[in-house]
Amino acid sequence: MRIERWRYTLPLRLRSLFRRNRVEDELDEELRFHIDRLTDEHVAHGLPPDKARLAAVRAMHGVEQRKEECRDARGVRLLEDLVQDLRYAGRTLRRSPGFTAAAISTLALGIGATVAVFTVVNGVLLRPLPFPDPDRLFAVTLAPRGIRTAGPSMADRDYLAFAERTHAFRHVATFSRFGAKLTGGDEPALVAAASVTGDFFGVLGVPPAIGRTFAQGEDLPGRDAVVILGDGMWRAVLGADPAVVGKTITVDGSRRTVIGVMPPGFAFPGKTQAWTPMRIAPDPGNTLLRPVIGRLNPGVTPAQARAEFGTIAPHLSTDDGESLLSGILPLDELVVGDIRRPLEIFAGAILFVLLIACANVANLLLARGSVRTREIALRTALGAGRARVVRQLLTESIGLAVAGGAGGVLLARWIVPALLALAPEGRIPRLESIAIDWRVLAFALVISIVTGIAFGLAPAIRVTRTTARESLSPSGRTFGPRHDRTRAVLVVVEIALALVLLAGAGLLLRSFLRLMSVDPGFRTDNVMAMSLDLDGTPHSTPERMRDFHTRLLDRLSSIPGVVSAGAVNWRPIGDALIRGDFHIEGRPDPQDLTVVDKPAVSPRYFTTMGVRLLRGREFTERDDAAAPGVAIVSRAVARLFPSEDALGKRITLQTTPKPEDWLTIVGVVDDVKQGGLSEPLHAAVYRPYRQVSHPFFLGHMTYVVRAASNPAGIVPRMRAALRDVDRNLPTGAIVSMSDVLERSTADPRFQARLLGTFASLALLLAALGTYSVLAYSVVQRTYEIGIRIALGAGRSAVLSMILRRTAALAAAGVAIGIAGALAATRVLETALFEIKPGDPETLAAVAALIMATALVAGFVPALRATRVDPLVALRQD
Amino acid sequence: MLPSVSEVDMSKPPDLVQGTLDFLLLKILALEPLHAFAISQRLKQVSGDVLQVSDGSLYPALHKLEQEGWIAAEWKPTENNRRAKFYSLTRPGRRHLEREAAKWDRLSGAITQVMKLKEI
Repeated sequence: MRIERWRYTLPLRLRSLFRRNRVEDELDEELRFHIDRLTDEHVAHGLPPDKARLAAVRAMHGVEQRKEECRDARGVRLLEDLVQDLRYAGRTLRRSPGFTAAAISTLALGIGATVAVFTVVNGVLLRPLPFPDPDRLFAVTLAPRGIRTAGPSMADRDYLAFAERTHAFRHVATFSRFGAKLTGGDEPALVAAASVTGDFFGVLGVPPAIGRTFAQGEDLPGRDAVVILGDGMWRAVLGADPAVVGKTITVDGSRRTVIGVMPPGFAFPGKTQAWTPMRIAPDPGNTLLRPVIGRLNPGVTPAQARAEFGTIAPHLSTDDGESLLSGILPLDELVVGDIRRPLEIFAGAILFVLLIACANVANLLLARGSVRTREIALRTALGAGRARVVRQLLTESIGLAVAGGAGGVLLARWIVPALLALAPEGRIPRLESIAIDWRVLAFALVISIVTGIAFGLAPAIRVTRTTARESLSPSGRTFGPRHDRTRAVLVVVEIALALVLLAGAGLLLRSFLRLMSVDPGFRTDNVMAMSLDLDGTPHSTPERMRDFHTRLLDRLSSIPGVVSAGAVNWRPIGDALIRGDFHIEGRPDPQDLTVVDKPAVSPRYFTTMGVRLLRGREFTERDDAAAPGVAIVSRAVARLFPSEDALGKRITLQTTPKPEDWLTIVGVVDDVKQGGLSEPLHAAVYRPYRQVSHPFFLGHMTYVVRAASNPAGIVPRMRAALRDVDRNLPTGAIVSMSDVLERSTADPRFQARLLGTFASLALLLAALGTYSVLAYSVVQRTYEIGIRIALGAGRSAVLSMILRRTAALAAAGVAIGIAGALAATRVLETALFEIKPGDPETLAAVAALIMATALVAGFVPALRATRVDPLVALRQD
Repeated sequence: MLPSVSEVDMSKPPDLVQGTLDFLLLKILALEPLHAFAISQRLKQVSGDVLQVSDGSLYPALHKLEQEGWIAAEWKPTENNRRAKFYSLTRPGRRHLEREAAKWDRLSGAITQVMKLKEI
């Protein structure tokens, strides 16, 4: 029965949609027929023809209204109206190109910036990791929070204990990243590499494209000379040789057999393109933190895994009183790291900018709305319902927003690279997945439509509220402009939003400036640093390593123009450091200071780095393996001996020290910001490298060289010095310590800059909004101002009248904005250094800036108001 | 007493009257295809002064019935050779009318019964 009805109804619907003109003509004809016949009848009853016709039309009770009702009956009304409204909107917008261009470009800017930020958020945070069942992958962590470089990670010994005890995880693995020099193809290449434990590829669940991954026991010495390559490296270095398995290449000087090639797009961690096997050997006295990843057993829920971790963790050794980043985290946390929070903040900030853009366009629409009041009143008088007119106006604003959104997507293609360029290199992970994909486009569409409704609804309702009688009467001039209140509210909101953003940017900027004024504990001027890794080179025993360091230091010191040269195994503000416990002879272990950095340094290291020697002496060449053990402690350690002198006291870094493990303190140096400027000072126990015998402390070394002037000039000579000692060693990067320090502050600089950009954009938009509202209000009040001037008001009185209004608007915005800023800037808490979110000075400065900007924006309209010619103004209309 | 239908403003018919109007239109068209003007004449003819249907409200009602598939329209010449839109009942419309008529019978029967009750 339904189907039978469709036989009648469906053709009608289609006809209504696609033969609209014909259907309309027929409606006209049908009604005309009726009126004609009725007229004839009235005439037959003796009425004169004109009166007969009038009576016939009256009998219809409003022909146009009836037509509307008939159209409503068609059932395709919404769709039909939409098409009609869009066409109409297109025509109206074309007729006022100035308004259209202003609205669309404002929207394109707002939506473009929002889409750009979303593109980054989508690529980094939202797209799933490119591994099978990524939601089964987790990072296991039990690490001190204080260490900047650590992130989710575990100490080696904890990793081994955990791997043994866990039943929740099917695979667990850990890894270390390093930069490897690859030779064996046509060209030597520097690649991102990782040494990984046996089950690494089992965790990620990605099979190789060619060959195999590591076999059981392939991490044992003698069998571990193998390497797996990434697709990119295989193509770039080995020319995509399909028979690559079994061939030998050289990785950092040691020969390794290629056993597999991973599929295209596979790179983990980071951009790694070469993987070598690694066996974890625990080092009882020291803590080396590495990321640990795991894949859950089928059927095990993350909650179960967390519960299991809760039972295992107490048995693990890392517990040094610091607050721990402990637990089972989604693997994204490891990949995305601490960029998540900043990205979320940027996303929130850009929405503020978009809201301000919306408010601006709403203002434009309101100004236009008053021009269109008569048109709308006419439509209402002709039978259009209010809802219908609102719908039409909304279609127009959504149309505008979608056009702006399209422009925004185009803009985003430019903004995204600019945004990424602003970020410090390597700061934003997953760059390869940052692209404008269907998700971004869908987001752009949704945000455009929502934007269109946001800025269109209030003006549409406002405009249609005006009754027909008021606006059709020719002298519809009023003294209190009727849209003024809505417009004022919009400006106040804009100013408040801009203030919140400015407050955030101001806080980040001041925090950054404070960070820059922090004393790192060493002098960076004229110091160059060169790092070397001796693992896998012929210099592999402790004796050879020490010998190598001594010879290279000799060469470096003798370079002309070099004031002094020194070496430290893990330099300040570096990627890694070695920390551990220590004990003081004849005393219980200190409660509040249990962990210290344990750098091994050369003679003259402190002189070279400009670390202040407070007491005692530096290490000398005589502090070698044959001499009694000595140590230099930092100020924080020396403070443990309050009443007595630390010099001459003995400490040890071993838990169960042998007699030769006791070290006599021979000097005290200043504390150094080892982990970065925003990190607390690290207490340290320095040892002369010649008394260190563990290869782990000797294999990696940073040589620091202080030049008399022009430090960059000595770089070639440093390379030459290295070649003199061993010409087969790859020369790594040589960086100036000033660059190192600057790079370590790149993140706060990036955040301050980006939020600053957003805030400037917001301030500009808010200023434009303030200007346009006041300019409009001056135009609206021309008549009134004319009367005032005619009655004797001076120019300055008029000027101050407009400026007072500006100040009132801005003050309201500032008041609301400060309340908003107090609440909103709390999200910055963790990003701020030595400044609190509600910092009154920052808020005061920002409020002053906003007030000043608003007054400047209001000054031009105010000036125009003073130039109103009363004769012209009063003669208008 | 029930209010008489004529007391209601016919330019905006309330639901009950609207439903009744639909019913009447279907019934009239069940007899023969007619154009709207003829339908309005017929309405006045058959119901006298009791049902005053404004000429205007006839059209939305007819168009709605057409869109629902109960009636179909066709342009045909009239007796004095002008083109007019003739409405006729469709097969689903005829069945719909039968159901409505049955409902109407039950309802009016019930109301009649109620009206016959005497005070004790």
